[in-house]
Amino acid sequence: MYYLGFTPMVRNPLFMAFVFSTPFTLLFILFVASNGTALPYGLAGALTMITTELGLFVGTDLATYKLQNRFQDMVVASPVSPLIYMFGVALSELIFGAPALLILFGLIAGQGATLGALLSCLGVVILLWITTTSLGFFFSAYAPNTQNAFIINGFITTMLSVLPPVYYSVNVLPSFLVPLAVVIPTTEASSLFQGAIGLGYSIEPTSGFAALLAATFIMLLLVSFRMKWRET
Amino acid sequence: MKALQAHQLSKTYRKSKQPALDSLDLEIDAGQIFTMLGRNGAGKTTFLRIASTQLLPTSGTVTVLGLDAVKDAKELRGRIAMAPQEAETIYPLTPRDHVLLSLRMRGMEKGEATKRAQEALDALELTEVADVNSDWLSGGLKQRVIVAMVMRTDADLIFLDEPTIGLDPVNRRRVWDQLTRLKQSGKTIVLTTHYMDEAEALSDSLVIINKGKVMASGTPRSVKAAVTSRTTRVDVFDKFNLSELGAFGHVVTIAGRFRVLTDAEAAKRLGDEAVARNASIAISPVTLDDVFVDIVGEAERGEENGR
Repeated sequence: MYYLGFTPMVRNPLFMAFVFSTPFTLLFILFVASNGTALPYGLAGALTMITTELGLFVGTDLATYKLQNRFQDMVVASPVSPLIYMFGVALSELIFGAPALLILFGLIAGQGATLGALLSCLGVVILLWITTTSLGFFFSAYAPNTQNAFIINGFITTMLSVLPPVYYSVNVLPSFLVPLAVVIPTTEASSLFQGAIGLGYSIEPTSGFAALLAATFIMLLLVSFRMKWRET
Repeated sequence: MKALQAHQLSKTYRKSKQPALDSLDLEIDAGQIFTMLGRNGAGKTTFLRIASTQLLPTSGTVTVLGLDAVKDAKELRGRIAMAPQEAETIYPLTPRDHVLLSLRMRGMEKGEATKRAQEALDALELTEVADVNSDWLSGGLKQRVIVAMVMRTDADLIFLDEPTIGLDPVNRRRVWDQLTRLKQSGKTIVLTTHYMDEAEALSDSLVIINKGKVMASGTPRSVKAAVTSRTTRVDVFDKFNLSELGAFGHVVTIAGRFRVLTDAEAAKRLGDEAVARNASIAISPVTLDDVFVDIVGEAERGEENGR
């Protein structure tokens, strides 16, 4: 975590700027275009997008360590367990995003969110992070090269955190798209953030939380079954 | 005591019809430097990856340090280390970070890891660049960083896949010195290389593999002696043609000149003939390089004739 997260962040702060760039750009556009009224939606969207990015970046990192640096080969032939390695890489990625997350939590608190609301946001961030990290692990195992890993990462990030109702409410979607949107974990997460910020829940919070929990569980299961530590 | 034993080890990759390893049998004594030689795609890396618990074999067994590389992988991983082929340094870590990362992830306490990292950096003359971003280093320096990462671990057996690739002759010898020191400290080294001089200088024993099969094995000297009666090579620079030289032994064409692999008596006859013709020749003992080309070339020719 120190060598793969903290050290790169200190030596090259551009890593951090990269994490900030897209979610905060979208937040800024929403803020300006709505004359400030859509700021809460922007905050919920940015929090969802950053958490999603941080999880999916893990996949890109793992693909790079495996296919380009061959570092994973060294790790496999060492006492480090797959779980520790993955957890280490995932936490390293979280370090890059920690400043962005802190800023967003500060802005959400500034919108009048209660401590309970902030804690519930934190819980949602953790669940979404585990879900998207698992997704990152999963595709890293199948990425044939690092270029593809970057492409897949960018594509999934857009599909999960720009297109679905993440920066906007699920209620504004045409009704035939709603069932499709609610099966996406980022929709549930953003809806829970929107509710915590005081925008009202577009999906009933208990079912939203349960759906997110189920997505987390399914992704973890998928990873544990399909993750390749030793190649066949 | 055997550090590694492979029995009928085979591996066929899913998308390939040809086996990468084909019923391979070999044994490596503990405390040795063991070298695997073979052309690109001969199966060297596949073997190293199976023995170092990264890849599952299709069939057969590999026992490393008394542990089954498939069934006892978890236990075995604490006792081995691996420097993979074509590994790259991680941006923006320094050489010191790399070595520390490697030692710390293996559970070494910070103070001890710091001390050992310095030793590894000193041993491979990386001290001056120890705290420089690895991206700014030359290819040779980066390669030494990768070797340094496994040099001072607690592993009893170290796998090195082409550890000196891209290094200049001085630095290759520096790595050889360090590998010899590791051996003297009781560790077993299993390496692959394309440099025959390296195999000859370093190895206690070696194996030549081709298309996943063992073609020859033993000490460098015994391999040379066992596989060919041609103990002498004569490089002929002029005044002979191919058909004339065929009478003296096995002729190989190298960069427009002829190399005759033969025995001492025929070499003497050829020498006399060269003196009579005032031709330029050079006589020397055969090297592992000659033996390798001879063995692998012979196998390829055999296959072509069989088609």
